[in-house]
Amino acid sequence: MLEPGLYTWRNPWLRWSVLCVGGTMVAAVLVGFLWLPSAQGDFNAKGIWASICRAAGVPDAWGDKAAMVTRGGRTTSVVLDQTMARLGSGEAAGRGATLALQQCTMCHGIRGVSVANAPNLAGQYPEVVIKQMTDYRQGDRLNSIMQAMARNLSERDIGDVAVYYANLPKVPPVAGRLNVTVPALVRVGDPMRNIAPCASCHGGAEHKLGAPWLDGMPKDYLAVQLTAFASGARKNDSHAQMRNMARQLSTKESDELATYYARP
Amino acid sequence: MFLAKRLVLAHFWVAFIAFAAAMVLGAWQMFVRSPLSAWVGNPEHYYRSVTAHGTVMAYVFPTLVAMGFGYAITELALKRPLLGLRWAWAGFWLVIAGTVMASVPMAMGRASVLYTFYPPLIASPLYYLGVVLVVVGSWFWVALMAINLRAWKKDNSGQTVPLAMFGNVAAAYLWAWTSIGAAVEILVLILPAALGLTSTINAGLSRVLFSWTLHAIVYFWLMPTYIAFYTIVPRAIGGRLYSDTMGRVAFVLFLVFSMPIGIHHLFADPQVGSGFKFVHAVFTAMVSVPTFLTVFTIVASCEIAARLRGGKGLLGWVKALPWHNPMMLAVTFSFIMLGFGGAGGLINMSYQLNETVHNTQWVTGHFHLIFAGAIVIMYFMIAYELWPQLTQCAAFSTRLVKTQLWLWFVGMMVLTGPWHWVGLLGMPRRMAYFDYSHPAIQPQAWPVVMSTVGGFVLLLSAFLFVYILASARSTDKPVEPFTFSVAVHAASKVPRALNGFGIWVALMVALTVVNYGFPIAQLATLKDASVPAIPVGAR
Repeated sequence: MLEPGLYTWRNPWLRWSVLCVGGTMVAAVLVGFLWLPSAQGDFNAKGIWASICRAAGVPDAWGDKAAMVTRGGRTTSVVLDQTMARLGSGEAAGRGATLALQQCTMCHGIRGVSVANAPNLAGQYPEVVIKQMTDYRQGDRLNSIMQAMARNLSERDIGDVAVYYANLPKVPPVAGRLNVTVPALVRVGDPMRNIAPCASCHGGAEHKLGAPWLDGMPKDYLAVQLTAFASGARKNDSHAQMRNMARQLSTKESDELATYYARP
Repeated sequence: MFLAKRLVLAHFWVAFIAFAAAMVLGAWQMFVRSPLSAWVGNPEHYYRSVTAHGTVMAYVFPTLVAMGFGYAITELALKRPLLGLRWAWAGFWLVIAGTVMASVPMAMGRASVLYTFYPPLIASPLYYLGVVLVVVGSWFWVALMAINLRAWKKDNSGQTVPLAMFGNVAAAYLWAWTSIGAAVEILVLILPAALGLTSTINAGLSRVLFSWTLHAIVYFWLMPTYIAFYTIVPRAIGGRLYSDTMGRVAFVLFLVFSMPIGIHHLFADPQVGSGFKFVHAVFTAMVSVPTFLTVFTIVASCEIAARLRGGKGLLGWVKALPWHNPMMLAVTFSFIMLGFGGAGGLINMSYQLNETVHNTQWVTGHFHLIFAGAIVIMYFMIAYELWPQLTQCAAFSTRLVKTQLWLWFVGMMVLTGPWHWVGLLGMPRRMAYFDYSHPAIQPQAWPVVMSTVGGFVLLLSAFLFVYILASARSTDKPVEPFTFSVAVHAASKVPRALNGFGIWVALMVALTVVNYGFPIAQLATLKDASVPAIPVGAR
């Protein structure tokens, strides 16, 4: 489709278009990469080349690294991943069942439904069990019994136990649909206090990876966990999502939520 | 018209029915998050609705209008039958198939990620495949526009391409290059995660690729409106187009500048450097140039019409404009909305000012005012103009048409004015409900109620629009042949650069490479840039 004469520098349309667009580009680059950064002391502290790289978006640590303090320490070492949510093979479930019978059933119930105020594990999402057990093993979640139990389990053991429990029938949901009889905090949260609805992660409206199935959990267990999140005694929620929610709850509200989810 | 009547009609009908359905969702959304309604029982339903509204209004509706209008222009402006009619139908059915394919997971709540996708949120793969089919269907149109223009040029060597066809092909090339960003995002990054092939996604890169499409897509929506401004409005109000060349310049400027600017949507994103943000802000400002040229040219064209009708004086001619004419009303409304929306847009694109409105309801108000207001009101006029050609119907009742336009304009102003205002008050967007009983939010209650009223006025107008089209009956009387505007100085000889697209497509590609090349390459090669994908509605 080449038209003779059109694509030569002698063609003023081409010449002026390229010059104007190019000139605008050069001016914008000079301002954006040199002039504006020069106004920021910390931005150009390491010299002009570092400043240009930053303006281009190349990752770099700013300022004095030694002065940077990581507050609060590590929360968890587990990065949740879709692969953890897979239900695994029959062999894994069988192996997990053997381990569970030996070590878990005393507190978590013969079929994963606890009568000892330990959390129900029947039908629990596998990545939840993997994350919590790994956190116990790494010392990121504290419990004298569970930490001792988890210490002796390999990564594969944990994965297999998770698969086994995920395959057991779960306690049916307390409310099939979200309706007005469901507590407002579960349905809609409280936006002005920055409390997200429970149902947006724990099921009902939406389920997020790593959020446990709560329906039918022992009430005391739920209440203790909310208190522990609120006080910061439990902090293995990677982005403080539960600590931030629980801190905002009154005692009455915590109790209401624990009661709601514990309903048989 | 020759062969394309049924084709164009099919595109328009699907577009307008989808539009009316998405309007119902939009009105419901306005109502349910206003103080007039109790909080929505399940917030996911709200996001499901927003996703459907956005997907239809952003992908399906304007794409079908642009395609249908493009086919019509090809026959009406080139005065010859459309080449590749079968391919055009194939493209149409792909768009339909894609729409249906995307609708199913959307309706099931498996795709509540909003039309802008927001990775690392991941929807059902069917949703993305549906969107890809819609885009691929539109690429058939792009190819056909190029082929038809080339064939015409071959047979009419040295002739000036009619302005309508020139704008039409500019829109096609613009869309072809624009849609590549989102297509790459979906095919390379999102689909592997949606299909479970990978469990992580480079969300930062995804957002940059989407921004490639996200802003320029607006200019793709805008092009049919601008084509109507230049090639229909002056004729419809009894005037002359002030400058044919200005129209060509505006179209090629859109081609060059609409692309390398999308990062202004990412001013708050940490993965993009401030230098590139600034450069994109500068080029965003450049896009106002073709709009200013257009406003000037069309106002001048209106002045010509007024003076032909005996208008006198420096501004006295305004009174002599044909205000009884629906087109006059529509272009006036469109310019008013474009004026307010454009002013707001200049605030959005300013790197610093953007901070005050970023992710607030201001932005939602802005793009409704520009797209649903200034642009869509001209889509209505395009349909009213073409309908007699397509269905052999008599001209529409101007009273009904004017009522519909008034309702749309008033509804849009009442909708978006308060929407901007609550944005300034800090109201975030993408929220299913607000606690208006809280003293901090209470001042936002009445403007939200007001904009809800605006939303329902718009719904009424949309239904009236569909009713007017549906009630058209074919007549035995011959329909007047369709004509485009005539320029004051006929474009017998335009510069060769403005009779083709070579220089401008090259500049468009070059600018995009310069403005996007480094951010994309850098993010694509960055280690540990991926985050876990978050499937929605999967459990």
